Amino acid sequence: MSTGRATLEDVERLAKMAGLEISPAYLRSVHLNLCLLLDQAALFVDQPLDPIVEPAPVYRP
Amino acid sequence: MKLLDYPVDLIGIATIARGVREGRLSAVALIESRLARIERLNPRFNCFTEILGERARREAEAVDALVAAGRDPGPLAGVPFGVKDNYDVAGRITTAGSIINRDRAAAASDAVLLQRLTASGAVLVGTQNMDEYAYGFTTENHHYGPTRNPIDTERSAGGSSGGSAASVAAGLCDFSLGTDTNGSIRVPSSFCGIFGLKPTFGRLPRTGTFPFVHELDHLGPFARSVADLALVYDMVQGFDAGDAACADRPVDAARHGLDIAWTGSTALLDGWFDSMADAQGRAAAACVAEVFGVTTRVSLSGAQARAAAFVMTSASGGNLHLESLRHRAADFDPATRDRLLAGALLPANAVLQAQRFRSLFREQVLGAFRHHDLLIAPATPCAAPLLGQPTIEVDGKPVPTRANIGLLTQPLSFIGLPIVTVPITSDALPIGVQLIAPPWREDLALQAAAHLERSGLTHVQSGLPC
Repeated sequence: MSTGRATLEDVERLAKMAGLEISPAYLRSVHLNLCLLLDQAALFVDQPLDPIVEPAPVYRP
Repeated sequence: MKLLDYPVDLIGIATIARGVREGRLSAVALIESRLARIERLNPRFNCFTEILGERARREAEAVDALVAAGRDPGPLAGVPFGVKDNYDVAGRITTAGSIINRDRAAAASDAVLLQRLTASGAVLVGTQNMDEYAYGFTTENHHYGPTRNPIDTERSAGGSSGGSAASVAAGLCDFSLGTDTNGSIRVPSSFCGIFGLKPTFGRLPRTGTFPFVHELDHLGPFARSVADLALVYDMVQGFDAGDAACADRPVDAARHGLDIAWTGSTALLDGWFDSMADAQGRAAAACVAEVFGVTTRVSLSGAQARAAAFVMTSASGGNLHLESLRHRAADFDPATRDRLLAGALLPANAVLQAQRFRSLFREQVLGAFRHHDLLIAPATPCAAPLLGQPTIEVDGKPVPTRANIGLLTQPLSFIGLPIVTVPITSDALPIGVQLIAPPWREDLALQAAAHLERSGLTHVQSGLPC
């Protein structure tokens, strides 16, 4: 896992924006989990997708 | 020998129900016998969060009364079953494996699937242990303790529907209902060596169950045989408007097609689904492939699909529980809390790209189904790990256990496909193999599973704990 994708300070800033207060007792664990998620996201986030790829619910008659 | 005296692993749901419907077996006597078994064995396995003895006795009496009055109590007459503790049971608080939910109101009515089973004559005996908020694969619940695998009590029963799977494996009830968001029916089926069905997304209404990830949540049964699995599945099918994602489709009864020999085109999933499995899992899938005469392998973008499902799950869970994370963070299971908090911090781009990638992946898999009726893959990267085991070995490397048990199930529930997990037993622990069918073709997956069962390759290990 790459812990360089986010810093502890990033976690604190993001948490503040989300209205969350993360206790210092588990800040490191949240940081590790966020880095794990960002590692996973890196596997697909740059995948070129056609602009018409449609994730929305589609109603068919 | 009286029907009641047969070992529970040899009877089957249909036979039990026939005995009750024909008046040869008292539902009350059966339930008393099963409740006694639960009282004796549940402390060893910790499958149940609550044993509903009073309700079970009342329902069993009602079944016997119907029989005495010459009326039919239904195809599941008197059959004891349990539900994961994220299904509503009238008058009871649905904990979903948490202590936070204890502050919620008691359920006003049973979950819709539970109502359908009761209307079919089945008798609810209790609610069952799970990972907190269904976010886990091991049922090592911080608040309610771990569920132990009946095959080896030092090992995990899998999760998150671990209590439901272990109770069926231990013969404490004859079937159970679980939920599957990323593999929570298929993983415990694999570890406990029983059959599990995750139907197509939108097939079964989730009305009256506590959600985890709305766009990935599925309900489904566990059982000790394919016939039992199909019978229960047929009894719970049907539209319900209470679940916005439930498709308004007719009931596609699956139990009548089980005797048809499998002649469909089948392929083995390669690439990710091969490299993430251990030797036992690969061998199990290869044995299944051999029975079906498989010569074709199909590669899918499994790594990316799994990653996208992983990201969507955390983000969605973080969103669902945001208020509790703000005000009651200390009341979560720490392992759940820290992942939900991380999910709540994810950039929108990652979540939206995961959703868009899903459309692409779905088209890729539907392309494979233009050539094949069934795809095969191992269900778990390994057989049941020890409780508390920090890592498992995947592709030659140690990786954290909890985060990686769903490597092979997550890409497939991501696109909502119907899947039956069949147990492949050996001298070692059992391991499951996924039989993956096209959307709405649960009947094909069940038919293929029945074919494997007749071949002798798949079955639940005999010999119940006593």
